[in-house]
Amino acid sequence: MTSDNTPVLTIRDYSLAYRVPAGKIEVLKGIDLTVHRGEIVGLVGESGSGKSSLASAIMRYLPGNAEENAGEIRLGETDLRAQSQRAMADIRGRRISMVFQDPATSLNPTLRLGEQLAEVLIRHQGLSKDQAWREGEARLAHVGLKTPAEMMRRFPHEVSGGEKQRVVITTAFACNPELIIFDEPTTALDVITARQILDLFGALQAETGVASLYISHDLALLSQTARRVAVLEKGTIVEEGETAALFRAPAHPYTRALIDAVPHPEKPLVEAPVGTTAPPLVRIRDVSVHYGRKGLLDTLLRRDFQRVAGNRSITLDIQPGEVLGIVGESGSGKSTLAKAMTGLNAFEGLIEFDGRPLRGLSDMNRSYRRDVQIIFQHPDASLNPRQKISEILARPIKLYGNKDAGTTRDRIVAMLERVRLPASTIDRYPHQLSGGEKQRIAIARAFLSNPRLVICDEITSALDVSVQASVIELLMELHRETGATYVFITHDINLVRQIAHRIAVMYRGDLIEVAPASAIADPDRKPYTRELLAAVTPPASTQRAQPTLS
Amino acid sequence: MSASYILKRIALIFYTLVVVSLLVFAITQILPADAAVMMLGENATADALEALRQQMGLNDPIWLQYLHWAGGVLQGDFGTSLRTGQPVGPALFSALGTSLTLAAFALVFMLLLAIPMGIIAAVRRGKFADLSVSFISYIGVSLPEFVTATLAVVLVADWWKLLPPAGYVPLTQDFWGGLERLILPVIVVSVMMIAHVSRMVRSELVDVMHTDYIRAARLKGLTPRRVLFRHGLRNALLPTITIVALDVGYLLGGVIVVEEIFSIPGIGRSLMSAIQARDLPVIQAGVMIMATTYAVVNFIADVTYAWLDKRIQYD
Repeated sequence: MTSDNTPVLTIRDYSLAYRVPAGKIEVLKGIDLTVHRGEIVGLVGESGSGKSSLASAIMRYLPGNAEENAGEIRLGETDLRAQSQRAMADIRGRRISMVFQDPATSLNPTLRLGEQLAEVLIRHQGLSKDQAWREGEARLAHVGLKTPAEMMRRFPHEVSGGEKQRVVITTAFACNPELIIFDEPTTALDVITARQILDLFGALQAETGVASLYISHDLALLSQTARRVAVLEKGTIVEEGETAALFRAPAHPYTRALIDAVPHPEKPLVEAPVGTTAPPLVRIRDVSVHYGRKGLLDTLLRRDFQRVAGNRSITLDIQPGEVLGIVGESGSGKSTLAKAMTGLNAFEGLIEFDGRPLRGLSDMNRSYRRDVQIIFQHPDASLNPRQKISEILARPIKLYGNKDAGTTRDRIVAMLERVRLPASTIDRYPHQLSGGEKQRIAIARAFLSNPRLVICDEITSALDVSVQASVIELLMELHRETGATYVFITHDINLVRQIAHRIAVMYRGDLIEVAPASAIADPDRKPYTRELLAAVTPPASTQRAQPTLS
Repeated sequence: MSASYILKRIALIFYTLVVVSLLVFAITQILPADAAVMMLGENATADALEALRQQMGLNDPIWLQYLHWAGGVLQGDFGTSLRTGQPVGPALFSALGTSLTLAAFALVFMLLLAIPMGIIAAVRRGKFADLSVSFISYIGVSLPEFVTATLAVVLVADWWKLLPPAGYVPLTQDFWGGLERLILPVIVVSVMMIAHVSRMVRSELVDVMHTDYIRAARLKGLTPRRVLFRHGLRNALLPTITIVALDVGYLLGGVIVVEEIFSIPGIGRSLMSAIQARDLPVIQAGVMIMATTYAVVNFIADVTYAWLDKRIQYD
């Protein structure tokens, strides 16, 4: 802080490893990074690249088995590595603060939001309880919360995700720190909420001139927020530069691969639908789903019971061979509809599959279950951790398999080959595979029964961009080979524009509209659709020099 | 927490008690005992027995007998003991008072020790303090009460003559004398509960201290003390409330051995002797009183839980 030229954050030749029984795992290697006042530096990398470890190293919050080299981490003139934990406690929250990925887990569920904000002011600014509370209210009003006094008294579960993240951000800015580390602050939020939080971040950043280290896996987002970007691959910064230049002409192959993996709505990955004269494969007529159950006391008191609507009379046709995307915020009813179609939720109304009417679970017979398969978001939760891949994949074959199509094992190996996994995978357990590999197993399981309809419920959301790209490529290949119909549920609008024929937009249980993917950005779409699309960050590669097409 | 939630819980208590009363009544009907024979003795004449049965309503249909009994219970009349001929209610309520006194002291004593032990074990996880707490806990869990009680009596009362070996004096009568006699039973009863409550506090606290919100609290620069007590402990203690409420049930009915060794006229002991004497009205009343106390304690635990953790709002 002696002069304006001293960077707020200086990291020089810093390496970090974790000691494990089997030896040492190197997580960061020779990191050099500086962040100046008023600057936003993006740190991009996939899971396992070490970006969160770097944040922990700066905060001096490392596990006991961490082993560091002699590298340097300075905050202004202060050598952070020389600070005791007690001294760090004075620095944390006052000179460096942090905003975390998920406001739902980074706020204490049993303390009022006000207390969690005010405690920082009490700790670092020496305010009294009353002063801190009043100051907190003023700060919350400043970040655009309409009823700050009420917000202070609420508990985290009583407010929305966006409101929670506003409180977390207010807390981070509370003591006017020199540096704020943002660790994927919008990843857990909906598109529209994320956009609002980004706008708020931009405004506060401009106002306070704080130095920001913005960690993200989202290149598109960084291309818009950060002035400089550092690309982290396996603990090494492979490329660093001014954002626009870096995206225009990435020098390192890894950066190029990352940029190319970002979904791009202008590059469709699916062939145009064939002229559809065939009757729809699925006809959904006035399907409603309600959550909640009438309690005993309600019945006794003859009280009216208000159930929560998950879906409100959805009517929709799905053509054979089509890829139908369903988009919407969390809570919009996308997954509820998928669950109704697979019999996991009770529903009212009518679903017709291939001309056969279904009014409930009892109508979903064996052949329906074979024809309709669902793949879930988290393969960790949908694959039994105690079963080998051979057992997991033998199930659909035993249930629906064609007796004379070879032995179970042969068919599993053949399927593994189709999903680009080595045959040796068959004798492994799910935990021995990576996230992308596990999701391939889930896809293999769905396709083993030769389904006619495959419902993909946010299946790439938990994956890194490059892994997502390869899983999508696989899905599209299987689509061409099998001609199966897809219902692809996602919140990634850039992605769905790339792979779907038509897109259904849902909002709070209602189907807003269904439009061809190519026409989803048309100006005459419904207001909510326009709002949703406006909130989407355009893909990073749009900043690359595009060959002029006109 | 809404008023409707509390009302719902109270309605549930009544429902539970009705079911318990039906069960108790049904079971006592199956027991091989004829109240008239019990009262008049084996040698009574058939006429005398018949007259008494008429008088006591034993010839009425069972549902009518149940309604008579339940109606009496609602008015505080638990009937007359077959053995002593005295009203059941007053005797049992005094026994309940004794048991609750023991339970209250034991709970307070146990919590005062178990919570700090759990905290120390969690904070010093894997260190000497943690291992010592675990060691003490396992000894507490593995020794049955009759062993600890006998040991306590032999060592403290018999050898060292520090405290009276047994007996019970109501605190209202002689506060210090009564307290002195409560010390040993309270310690014996607490030992087992200390073991599992401190284990519970430890494991919950270890889990809580690994959550994101604790990391966030630390990275806000809060003092370790505030992180532990304000952010961590509160959440870690919530599940303990449920465990403590279950312990009250154990303290009321499960400490017969302790009551026996220390000659404490608690409700467990009264019930035991009633069962031996086939004293039906006392059995029925005893079970009802214990079930009610248990239900009320669990209700208090649920309300406390909902008050501490505002996310619990069933309605």
